[in-house]
Amino acid sequence: MRIVGIDLGSRFVKTLVMEDYKIVERICISTVSFYKEYCSFNGRLKVDFKKLGIDSFDFGVSTGYGRNNVDIENFNIINELKAHAYGAMYQTGLKDFILLDVGGQDVKIIKVEKGVLTDIELNDKCAASCGRYIENMAKILETSIDEIFSYYKNPVELNSTCAVFSESELIGKIAEGVPFENLCAGVNYSLYKRLKPLLTRFKGKSLLISGGVAENKALLEYLKSDYDEINVLNDSKFNGAIGCCYFGILKYKK
Amino acid sequence: MKKIGITTTVPVEVLYAAGYSVVDLNNIFITSKDYLRYIEIAERDGFPKSLCAWIKGIYGACIENGIDEVVGVIEGDCSNTKSLIEVLKSKGVKIYPFSYPAKHTIEEVKKSIDDFIKLFFKDELVDSNIKEKIEDTRQTLSKGRVLARRIDELTCDFKATGLENHIYQISLSDFNGDIEGYTEILKEKVKEIELRKPKTKKIKLAYIGVPPMTPDIYDFIEKYDAQIVYNEVQREFAFPRFDRAKDIYEQYYDYTYPYSLEFRLKEIEKIIKERNIDGVIHYTQAFCYRAIDDIVIKRKLNIPVLNIEGDKLNCLDGRTKIRIEAFLDMLMDLKGD
Ligand code: SF4
Repeated sequence: MRIVGIDLGSRFVKTLVMEDYKIVERICISTVSFYKEYCSFNGRLKVDFKKLGIDSFDFGVSTGYGRNNVDIENFNIINELKAHAYGAMYQTGLKDFILLDVGGQDVKIIKVEKGVLTDIELNDKCAASCGRYIENMAKILETSIDEIFSYYKNPVELNSTCAVFSESELIGKIAEGVPFENLCAGVNYSLYKRLKPLLTRFKGKSLLISGGVAENKALLEYLKSDYDEINVLNDSKFNGAIGCCYFGILKYKK
Repeated sequence: MKKIGITTTVPVEVLYAAGYSVVDLNNIFITSKDYLRYIEIAERDGFPKSLCAWIKGIYGACIENGIDEVVGVIEGDCSNTKSLIEVLKSKGVKIYPFSYPAKHTIEEVKKSIDDFIKLFFKDELVDSNIKEKIEDTRQTLSKGRVLARRIDELTCDFKATGLENHIYQISLSDFNGDIEGYTEILKEKVKEIELRKPKTKKIKLAYIGVPPMTPDIYDFIEKYDAQIVYNEVQREFAFPRFDRAKDIYEQYYDYTYPYSLEFRLKEIEKIIKERNIDGVIHYTQAFCYRAIDDIVIKRKLNIPVLNIEGDKLNCLDGRTKIRIEAFLDMLMDLKGD
């Protein structure tokens, strides 16, 4: 049995194929080129799977971001929070956990107990702690995202809670001659400060991490002070797509 | 008949036998359009912001409705009640204390109830005359209890709704101040519900914890393929096992709510099994010590438990709705097609 899971994110579309419960294919394409190059529309979205390199499958499940669930022809749509819950269950075998997922524009925190979602927190107003924000900050610092992620010591204070104001604040700090490392660490620490209030309801011993944020070593370092254990999911970027496939398996089995 | 207010379920048999009409202050508070104003009255009189809305609502309801005699439960219920009745006393309200004994034995329960009887019958000894009068009242109330139990059963058959179950169980804390009138209402209601076609739902839920500030939870859940078929505390208020008790002492000994969590859980677990319940909603009130019980409840019950919290508003907030939705969604998955 081959199942395709698609996670239609705001920055990237993640497609995953599972065969007999195992992951056999992972495809990550920028959202814009996914719609432009691999899709056609006839009321619903039609995906050119041949072009994607997927020839046949039995079942398709998709999830979208926020409230924008895109309807793919012949696919089941599931809620993204559920997709992430199932993804983490598949990847860890756990039935009780707290998961933090930070993507291009969304922050999601979910709590799963006895295999069922019991609590949720989402960023509602601003994407200031998400991928897009870091991309902008990297541009200002004329460096790569990876480079930014590697500094966590002595962060410079960036107090603005707004993504746009933060950029000008950062430029101000550059003008003050703050060292590059401290500027990078400051960007990371500002992310942490924005996530922290969202996490207050989710105290626990360990925290699972998925989404693009998993690559942010500095942020993980800060989170370590709040949890005994921080576990980054192996396929952190594909967690939502994995959850779609796993849901498909559960459905199909019955 | 003179009115007497109660702050939670107490042996109403005694009060009715003594010639009172009983009003549960919780019910006046929560069913009133003015519920927010009642809270406001309490806060203006100095009740802290960081205090459960029920206590403030009861206070406001009592003052505004001119209730001048109140039974305050000083042991076995909320400890905030102790201070609440001090304030009421200082405002000239006559207070009759009642305690559910800390030690859960039939002897202790008997002592508590006898003390309570003495407050109203002014006898050194609770003699057989008084006892008979109370037992007669208990028998009269039992007609209503049978009917409420029938509504509970009809909820399991998906004929009565979760909200109806909630309302008709909870109302037996005071019989709406009029035993006969209310028994008639129950009789009519049972007749009406029995004739309905069942609206079967896939997911059966239990509601445990104090009754909700947000009664819209029942209808909200029924919009999905789910229904609450067991209301723990409300059902206890109606005394579904009253006929297994040979007297008022046994009846209040068997009442789970005021005693230990362990004792409550035994009955909850039994019902979860009997009614094939898929998931539990544990409601707690903001600032209530009972929220701590959630730790034990989640550990002890082996089915999924969702803890939701209400504060001042009498309808569900958006976040709680999303959480309930997601919880039900995944319970459905667990259940399969
Ligand atoms: S909800 Fe809790 S705090 Fe409020 S009256 Fe009841 S027991 Fe007391």
